Amino acid sequence: MNPTPTCGCPENTRVAGLTRRGLLGRAAAVGAAGTLGGLAADGLASSLAFAAAPYTGDTLVVLSLRGGFDGLSAVVPHGDPAYYQARPGIGVPKARLVGGDAMFGLHPALAPVLPLWRGGQLGAVHAVGQPNPSRSHFAAMEELERAAAGTSVRTGWIDRMLGAAGATSPFQGVAVGDSLAPRSMRGPAVDLSLRSIDGFQLAGEGARRPMAATVRALYDGAPSVLAAPATAAVDALGTAAALKAAGYTPANGAVYPAGKLGAALRDVARLVKAQVGLMVASVDFGDWDMHEGLGTPVAGQSMYDQLSTLAKALAAFAADLGPEGLGNVTLITLSEFGRRVAENGSRGADHGHGNAMLLLGGGVRGGRVYGRWPGLAPAKLVAGDLAATTDYRAVIAEVLARRCGMASPAAVFPSLAPAPLDAFTAR
Amino acid sequence: MVGPVPLTSRRHLLRGAAAAATVAAVPAVLAAPAPAVAAATVSPLHHLLRRATYGPTPASLAEAATLGVGGWLDRQLNPSAIADPVADALLARLPLAQASVAGVRAAVTAGTLKRYGWEAMYQLGVATVGRAAWSNRQLLEAVVEFWSNHLCVTNPFDEGWDNRPDYDRAVIRRYALGRYADLLKASATHPAMLSYLDNRHSTKYKPNENYARELLELHTVGTIHTEADVVQAARLLTGLTVDWKTGAFQYDAATHATGAVKILGYRHANATAAGGRAAALGLLDYLARHPATARRIAEKLCVRFVSDTPPPALVDRLAALYLARDTAIAPVLRALFTSAEFAASAGAKVRGPYEDMIATVRTLGLGLDAAGVEGVRALYWMAESVGQAPLAWGQPDGYPDTAAAWAAPAGLLGRWNNHLNLAAGWWPEELVRPAASLTAALLPTVPATYGELVDTLTDRLVGVRFADSHRAALAGFFGKQPASTLRTTDGAANGALPYLVALILDSPYFAER
Repeated sequence: MNPTPTCGCPENTRVAGLTRRGLLGRAAAVGAAGTLGGLAADGLASSLAFAAAPYTGDTLVVLSLRGGFDGLSAVVPHGDPAYYQARPGIGVPKARLVGGDAMFGLHPALAPVLPLWRGGQLGAVHAVGQPNPSRSHFAAMEELERAAAGTSVRTGWIDRMLGAAGATSPFQGVAVGDSLAPRSMRGPAVDLSLRSIDGFQLAGEGARRPMAATVRALYDGAPSVLAAPATAAVDALGTAAALKAAGYTPANGAVYPAGKLGAALRDVARLVKAQVGLMVASVDFGDWDMHEGLGTPVAGQSMYDQLSTLAKALAAFAADLGPEGLGNVTLITLSEFGRRVAENGSRGADHGHGNAMLLLGGGVRGGRVYGRWPGLAPAKLVAGDLAATTDYRAVIAEVLARRCGMASPAAVFPSLAPAPLDAFTAR
Repeated sequence: MVGPVPLTSRRHLLRGAAAAATVAAVPAVLAAPAPAVAAATVSPLHHLLRRATYGPTPASLAEAATLGVGGWLDRQLNPSAIADPVADALLARLPLAQASVAGVRAAVTAGTLKRYGWEAMYQLGVATVGRAAWSNRQLLEAVVEFWSNHLCVTNPFDEGWDNRPDYDRAVIRRYALGRYADLLKASATHPAMLSYLDNRHSTKYKPNENYARELLELHTVGTIHTEADVVQAARLLTGLTVDWKTGAFQYDAATHATGAVKILGYRHANATAAGGRAAALGLLDYLARHPATARRIAEKLCVRFVSDTPPPALVDRLAALYLARDTAIAPVLRALFTSAEFAASAGAKVRGPYEDMIATVRTLGLGLDAAGVEGVRALYWMAESVGQAPLAWGQPDGYPDTAAAWAAPAGLLGRWNNHLNLAAGWWPEELVRPAASLTAALLPTVPATYGELVDTLTDRLVGVRFADSHRAALAGFFGKQPASTLRTTDGAANGALPYLVALILDSPYFAER
């Protein structure tokens, strides 16, 4: 390495083609956020008044791998020699890979989901990305979850999905594991975020102390930005109380790993089995921003440990649901961007672009990697990054069309040209 | 050969965080702000204290009435002149909360602290809760929170074990009411920021863009910059690092990338390694005084203190004042709080979960533990349970500050539960309560009717009268009418009083500010 101020190392490569939102766009977004009585809450109030046809599609589980998931370490392109050239320190040796084929292999920490891969319930798409990539976590997540490039739409895509599907109950769109809903759920459709089902209760409530009913009355006439979530909370308390009273033991001996991810997926399985009408569940699993110490594929290294937790949680989730339950569930992973192809000087990788998605469910045509592989040779890269040949929205759109009974995903992704991968069977 | 720098992974960033940039919006069309629940009945002083402090108390309302708005601002903008006995007592019990890097490391040497342990950072978090609740320097605390979000260094984070308390004391608090240019430069030369955003590992051999990008996007001009600006800024900032032996800031000329730079309108020859520090600080001075920075800071201050939809004319005036006064913050705050737009905004903000909890502590008159810190430490975890432990937002953009961002049903439920826990004294148990019972604290005489009971409590706790329908709902909680006679032995005035108090705090009247 011969560093000069104009060296060709990736961090110094000028990023071509990245569009960035201007100051005015950001300012408008900030300004619009808090309008008291804005459309969000008003829409929520009106949607609560509607009745809808019962939902008969898959429950879509959106697992957000926040921080920039390194798809190149998870679904390794061992058949591309440029991979090992770009990652002499952190490349996963071919001999350590599990599953896969002549081109790709899975990181050894994913061994717990190997039976699902071989059984065809788990697959992947590689070289996935956004149409207008950004290397800013915030801009990239904002656009990933707005999912409406080139339009002025401000809602999130899950919110639009719930709206298009006619969701009427907070338990039809649930963010599990956090008390804040993700950006993708922002908008008029009713939804709920909860840290856990069992923790969702109002202190003091009793037969002679109607706390919840009194709270509901106190919000009568309040601005909708206050009244709508309060009313939704009171409604949801009743459902949660029934679930808690019923108790829960995972089926088939499933053991979820300790931590937030395992607890959240356990609650998702519980909601699926309770048949509360869950259309979409959002779960966050962060901590993927591995600028340093992404490391080699051994326990104790960041990527190994994170993937290990992920694989154990997915395996437990699939086991808990059982084949029949998994037949009514599709889980996908998303991340705001992939990581730079070349490793950096800290045994990590900086923000990049193209990435891998994991697909899990009975309707997945799994055991293989979808997408056109653009190659990792330097001339094939975009500013040092894996090029994206598949728009992540096209993958979701296929799930919505084939698994969730939505004839026209255009209501969810207004600017998307359909491009099916045929990665899912029709329900 | 020296040992390696501990390369802890960047686990702090984006750790299971929910929405990024949560300030971004839902509504496609801006509706006019809805009328506040009780705006008409709030006095100007009450309005000021709901915004510029963590919530009015009988004592703070009385003081403000004596001083008037101008006198109150004068006093609060000169915080070192305000005696602060409770905060002093609290800090004496949390000796690492404001420790220097050397101080934290000395505790390790003395064997009272584990190396890389998070105790100092948790002490800082607990101290922050306690100061918000009980410091007499309330405006300073509110502004410290603002800057802690704007120049966010998540507390706790892996590499902050020895430097995060010092960042709070020597950077944020020292310059909170000073000049932003000084604050920005102090942050850029502090081991906490340099560790948090990776600049300590950025060298001329392998520049790391993380800090450079957030410096432009979050700390100063916003997203008007180009990728080339980020790349050049990252090169210029190489050499600003941390001495791994002492944990202190260090400029390492040997790792600084020389060569001319152009970042937005900032040009520098950057010809020598020895001059790299001055060249980098020159960039920070330039960015702090950029009109786009002035506008972003003015706008964020307005979102914090005026409205989720900041009045454009006020933003313009404050941005111009910020530039005219060479980035001084106190004049901008004074102009904000004395503006017509501020006066017209009563009730237009909704409390976030953290300020909701602190305002509850304050209006109930709960005090710092008689000894120890178990009670105030429990408040930290109570804030964490509703998603807003102080300083703990996992991303560099700081906690969101708008009603829409916190409008989750689950978040409201958490607040409501906190209200009852605090009113009943179930948790935390260690806080000093103002009287032997809630009845003794809030009802000097027991009112004659349920309606008068509600009025007495809402006057005292929220500062407003509730609408008739809501008075009726609260009386109805006990199966009564507002006109029903209240006997001194009734549960509503005794053992069941905490439930009534909690419901009043659960109401939209208390949720708005």
